Amino acid sequence: MSSISVKSERLSSKHRGWQTLRRSWWGMLGGLVLTVLFLFPFYWVVVTSLNGSNQVLQFPPVFLPHGQWQNYVRAWNEAPWLRYFFNTLLIAGLTTLLVLVTSILAGFAFGVMEFKGKQILFLSFLALMMIPQTVLLIPDYIILRDLHWLNTYWAQIVPWGASVFGIFLLRQFFMTFPRELLESAVLDGASITRSLWQIVVPMARPALVTVALYIFLGSWNSFLWPYIMTSSPSVQPIEVGMATFLGTNGTDWTGLSAAVVFTTLPVMILFLVAQRQFLAGAFAASSGMKG
Amino acid sequence: MRIFQRSGLAYFYLAPSALIFLIFTVIPAIFVLYISLFNWNFLNMKMSTYVGLGNYHVLFSSSEFWHSLLISFYFVVGTVPTGLFLALGIALLLIQPFKGRGFVRLAVFSPYVTPVVATSIVWIWIFNPQFGLFNGILHFLGMPQIGWLQSPHWAMPGVMMYSLWHNLGFNVIIFLAGLTTISTELGEAARVDGANRWQEFWQVTWPLLSPTSLFVLIISTVGALQAFTQFFTMTQGGPLMATTTTSYLLYQMAFIFYHTGYASAIAVVLFVIIAGLSLLQMRVSQSRVHYE
Repeated sequence: MSSISVKSERLSSKHRGWQTLRRSWWGMLGGLVLTVLFLFPFYWVVVTSLNGSNQVLQFPPVFLPHGQWQNYVRAWNEAPWLRYFFNTLLIAGLTTLLVLVTSILAGFAFGVMEFKGKQILFLSFLALMMIPQTVLLIPDYIILRDLHWLNTYWAQIVPWGASVFGIFLLRQFFMTFPRELLESAVLDGASITRSLWQIVVPMARPALVTVALYIFLGSWNSFLWPYIMTSSPSVQPIEVGMATFLGTNGTDWTGLSAAVVFTTLPVMILFLVAQRQFLAGAFAASSGMKG
Repeated sequence: MRIFQRSGLAYFYLAPSALIFLIFTVIPAIFVLYISLFNWNFLNMKMSTYVGLGNYHVLFSSSEFWHSLLISFYFVVGTVPTGLFLALGIALLLIQPFKGRGFVRLAVFSPYVTPVVATSIVWIWIFNPQFGLFNGILHFLGMPQIGWLQSPHWAMPGVMMYSLWHNLGFNVIIFLAGLTTISTELGEAARVDGANRWQEFWQVTWPLLSPTSLFVLIISTVGALQAFTQFFTMTQGGPLMATTTTSYLLYQMAFIFYHTGYASAIAVVLFVIIAGLSLLQMRVSQSRVHYE
């Protein structure tokens, strides 16, 4: 009996070996098709950005670049890109910082501390996720106007300074944090607030990095909110600048493509450098938010 | 341990986020409901007149609103189920071990991190009726040219294609996360029982994956209902309102025509739809927790 089962197992494992090999070939083929499909628009914009207007206005299209780097110079000189970059970095950086601070504090309170109304407060925080941004545009516009914050950096930073995603993720982290360590730190005489910053925060780095990346990216890529809440390029971020550029240079396809390349490049570099954390964040979002 | 039972300190820690949420989310959500009951004067609030449910009455009897709901529904139907099954198919491929798998996962996810204004411009160019890539391919295949974003028929499919390209990667990662939690033993047991791979998928993998699919379904529907930027850059709601979704109509009414009260009524309806979907998702995911 046992010998038979061993034999069949061996057979099936041999069979499986073949199957894996065959499947791996199919996998590579499918993977190749997917890579081409998903990356082609990136290739295409680079090609267009390096072609002269005579190649671009040719039909059928030209598939190889022609080294027309002056498109980049022209596009760069036609809008205050440096200002847009500076604004975006400032807004995204400060928003991220603010979200980290508010999320650490609230995440710690929900994850470690005991207080009256904890359950109901946490549920109401979660319920905030049901309120869509589009719905808030009109009232927030009126509120920001009355605060005299329209067309300022503040309007683009403070309203985004707290994040349910950040609080949720850090709460999950703090809940698994070894209590003994915290308790001994507090008994040693450090205040709770001090032990939070000195012991807990350094250990929470992986979770903090994930939150920071998503908040930074979200702020960098945001469009509708800054488009509505600001009106002058001196405070506008890159995406609004890009939309303005599309409005004024809508037929200069080589220049537009060049602008797309140099405005998207920073995001792509950030993504490539921190790819693991990005994918981990998507994993955490799905497992965390589901249950 | 007593140390952490200090309510005062906990509230102090919660205060910064609570304050931001209160001022910029909770109060505005109530405020928009209030505004929707007025013929709101955008420049001078005191000149506003109370009209009760007047705005809703106008809204529900206006054809542009129903048309926009239909367009939103079209966008949801065109991107959500396709997005779900494409993402699942890609995830099933990317869970198999093969050389270069890590790179393919990265490639599929990468559009998701790109800014929508910038990358939608690339697609406007790809869809260009005279010199664009797609019409080049159609020309090569000897097929008739399409007006794409300039045609009332093809504008929406064009925006859908862009949106799928941009968002699919996120759903793929979520399905990959779901698939890794399913043990392979059940599938193997099914195969020993004589099930082929097709049967194994529908009888074992798909049911076990249903919480993940539901999660993807709801968040993509909510996302699709709120989609704005790609419509703004690619079609401006046109041609002939063929891509004027409810979110786009809300923007037009509020910030182009300054019909603030009317636009707020649209916002409230949108809110009810989206909150209803989110509640449904929470309810179902809670019932799942009971089984575990």
